[in-house]
Formats: sequence, C-alpha cells, structure tokens
Amino acid sequence: MIRLDDITYIRLGTPDLALAEDFATRVLGLEVTERTAKSLYLRSDARAHTLCYVAGDPADQTAAFEVADAAELEAAAASLEALGHRVSAGTAGGAAERKVKDFIAFDDPSGNRIELVLKPEYRGPRYVGARDAAITGFNHIGLNSTDPVRDEIFWTRVCNARVSDRIGDIPLMRINAIHHTLALVRAAGPGIQHINHQVAERGDVLRNYHLLRRNNVPIVFGPGRHPTSGANFIYFRGPDGMVFEYSCGVDEIKDEASHRPRSFSFEPASLCMWGARPGGLIKGA
Amino acid sequence: MTEPLLVAPAYARLPVTDRAVAGQFAGDILGLPPGPATEGAACFRASQHQNDLSFIAADAKAAAGFELRDDAALDAAEAALTAAGFAARRASPAECRARHVDAALLTADRSGNALDLVLRPHFNGRRCHLLRDSGITGLHSIGLRSTDLSGDLAFWQALGAVISDYVGDIAYLRIDGHHHRIALHPAARPGILNVAFTVEGLDHVMQALYFAGERQVRVLQGPGCQAVSGLAFLHLAGPEGHIFTLLAGDDKVGPKPLRPRRFALTESSLCTWGSVCTDVPEWRTEAGR
Repeated sequence: MIRLDDITYIRLGTPDLALAEDFATRVLGLEVTERTAKSLYLRSDARAHTLCYVAGDPADQTAAFEVADAAELEAAAASLEALGHRVSAGTAGGAAERKVKDFIAFDDPSGNRIELVLKPEYRGPRYVGARDAAITGFNHIGLNSTDPVRDEIFWTRVCNARVSDRIGDIPLMRINAIHHTLALVRAAGPGIQHINHQVAERGDVLRNYHLLRRNNVPIVFGPGRHPTSGANFIYFRGPDGMVFEYSCGVDEIKDEASHRPRSFSFEPASLCMWGARPGGLIKGA
Repeated sequence: MTEPLLVAPAYARLPVTDRAVAGQFAGDILGLPPGPATEGAACFRASQHQNDLSFIAADAKAAAGFELRDDAALDAAEAALTAAGFAARRASPAECRARHVDAALLTADRSGNALDLVLRPHFNGRRCHLLRDSGITGLHSIGLRSTDLSGDLAFWQALGAVISDYVGDIAYLRIDGHHHRIALHPAARPGILNVAFTVEGLDHVMQALYFAGERQVRVLQGPGCQAVSGLAFLHLAGPEGHIFTLLAGDDKVGPKPLRPRRFALTESSLCTWGSVCTDVPEWRTEAGR
C-alpha cells in the first residue's frame, strides 16, 4: 500500500509564463517565491511552493503527493512496477527543480502524471499573498478519469485513499482527515480537472467571487455549497483553461473507523445545495 | 433616557395597488404564510406573530410598527414624544384589530414616516410553517428614508434608541442587543426603504439568490456583507417598488457601551464583499453613481 500523506504541488506547462504570473498573483493571490528562465514558483502556505508553471505544453500537468520516507518511496516504486506502471526515478536536478529531497514519477491508469515526493521544502516567512484573497493553503485537486471505477480501485487499493462520499460515479477521496484531497471526474483524457485553495472564512469565498466578476474572470460554477463536504465554493477559469477553486468549510472526518461513504445522485443539487449549476465543469450535470 | 422603551420591530405595513400580486410575492418568493383575515389588509406571518408584514390600500400610508416594552412604556413614549414635539395619538379599537395588537400609539417622525408603537403584538399558537424553505425566522429591522436626519434621530432617541454606527450619514440605531433594528437613510422623500427579515444562515441567503434568478426576481444588491453589522445580506426588488432584504449572521452587540463608528459612504462600507447597488439612490455610493 502506497501511503500518501498530503498533496504537495501541481506543475503546469504553459506557453506564456508572464500571463500565468499575472493571473496567479493579481487574480488568484499567490506569492511568487522564485522565477527562473523557464519556470515560476508560487506558494499558498508554509511550503516553498505549491504551484509551479513551467514553459511548455499546457497538456503537461503533474500532481505530486508526499510520502513519509525513503523506504516508503522505494516500496511505492516496487509496487507500481509490479502492477506494470513505468516508474521513473527522479534525478538530483529534477528534485532540486521540485524543491524536494527525492521523487519518483509514474502515470495513473488514466494517464495522469503523478509524482511521489520526499521532504518538500518549507520556508520560514509566512505566505503573504499578492492580494488579500485570504488563502490559507493549497488543499485538493480534481483529477480527470477515463474510468472512475477502475481509477477508484487504483487510488484506494494500490494507494491509501478512502472514499468519503460519491456523487454518481465521482468518488471524493481522502488521504487524511480532510473530507477529500482527490476527486475523480469522468473525462475523455487525463488532466487536472481543478485546483483548490482554501480561504479563511465563508465570506471570503463571496468576496473573491465579486472580485473575480469585476475582473471579468470566467466563473465556471458557483458561488455555491457542496452538500457532500459542506464547503462553500467558487470555481473559475485561469490561463490555459485551468479551473481554480476557492473554498472554505470542508468537513473533517474525525472517526475514520465508523465513516461510511454516502452516495449522492448525479444531479446539480448534489453538487450545489444553493442552486448553482455546474455548467461545463462536470459533463452531464 | 437610559432604558429603551422599544423591544423589537413588530411589523411593516406597505401600501400596494394589487394586493393579490403582492401577496404572491410574500408567499411564493419569501415563503410567508398568510396571517388571519384582516379588514383592509393582507397579513403575512414571518414568526410566531399573527402579523409581521401586511399589504394595505394604495392610498394608505406605509407604516413601521415597533413593540413597546410594557404599559408603562406606552405612557412614557407618549409623554416623551409629546415633550419633543412629535404628534401622537392612541389607536382606536378598530385600528388595533387591523394591526393585531392590544394597543398602539400612532405617530410619525419629522420626515413624516408613519410609525406605530404597539403594545403586545398578538401571537399565534401554531408555529410559522413557511410555504417554502426560505429560512425566514422573523423581522430583523426596517430601513427608513429620512428627509430630516437630525429631526428623525431626535424621534428615536426620545424613545431610548442608541446610534450604533454611521455609514456616511446613514444612521444605524439599536434598541436591544442587536446592532440595529432601524436604519435611517438620507433621502429625497420619506417612506420605508426596506423591510429586512432574518434567515437561518448564509445558506438561505445564497439559496434565495438562485431562487430569485429562477423566478426573475431582481436582486438589487448582494450577496453582500454589511461592514457595520457583519450581517450577510441580499436586497430583493419586491412588488411596486418595495424592497425586501434577507439577513444572516450574528449581529448581537455586548452590553458594553459602544461609541458609534463612522464609515465613509463607499462601496466597501455598504458591502465588504464588493457587491454594488446601482438602482437604489439611498445605497448608491460615489463609485456606484
């Protein structure tokens, strides 16, 4: 069993680093920690970076999870290889680029690029956003899945994810007490479906909503509230079509042993209890 | 005056030309069940009271009702208002019946807003079962238009109301432990600006936003958050120009004496979340004009 402790960072290719930086700072409210000729590092919490834009193809999208130690990383590589996944070991240069001690990379069954990392770098000074978006940290992602049933088995049996709730065939999965760190959403191909940052208060979601509207940022879904996790949310589109989310008030699952996942029917009210429509975010809803 | 004579807003009486259409808004949009059959009025309940909102004849005057603490407060209010030069008279039995109260002092502020100070608004034994899940739990406050701000402030202060805060010259007045129950807005004409109901929480404010959109009810402002009170709000355009507001949150202020703060009349004072009102002159700021 591959034990994922936390979600660490997202790496996104982009043809326009300047545009990505403008959005990530002026709109999203992240803090730039480093710029190189080919990459832009952004943070949203105590870690040195939680989002990295790399000059290149926007189809190159990677999600990274932290594992506890070198033994876990080695065991993970072995079990993935035994299942037929091609695992590439990280180089020292690659690890430095990712601000981690070591890492391995592989594709999940849908073809999503996943990295498992050791000891991501933290920074002493606290995160100070480029604007007052009230972000408290990078929290979770939605991941495209060409077969959510198959991929749920991968994430829950090969890895340590547990299903917290389901909406139709979308499993919302946790790897710690937070209701979900990973949601699988049916799609034609691999990719990151959305990137979530938590904000401090429920009101901050609405304050950000009005700011996004004023800046003509395309609103994809919300403002709304998920009946599953209880979180207030707003989804909006950034550079290269990537969807970002602010949310607040995600439930924690405190009693791991007694929690049973609930199944919500696949309809708009299961995605938003206020009446917002998911629009193009989720096919068929 | 140390002890306020008033304890809570009791009702709003709003003149309309089409009582049926107005009643549909109260029932279908706000979810308020009808109150008892009443001569000359269509009453609606938003709480355990028989009457929290009534639509009256178009030629009658809009009135806001506030509940007096007790019989002694009725006498004291009459004396205080008379001393301050405000005309006041006791309501007739028929007028009390139409208002579902035991007794009332009918009076007006300097702007000419009709204000009813009432004794014991009548309760209904059955709980207020809303027609839809709008989450309304009762009246929160009444916004009044004022053409004579200092004169109108004198009216409320004679009754023991206290200024909580200002936004520009908009004055928020409290009579109980809540931030405000009355808001006075400088305006070109008198009248009731808005009738504000408390809802259970932010969920109901936000559900109302989408519900209003589906029913083509215009949202005048919001979802927003008042800087002065911290309450989340949604201002809805009701029938015939009347404005109904849904409020969520906790605006209780402690027993400690507070000095009124003055916020500039800017967008961020009226709404810390950044919503803007363009259609209501009293809520327009320089940026919104």
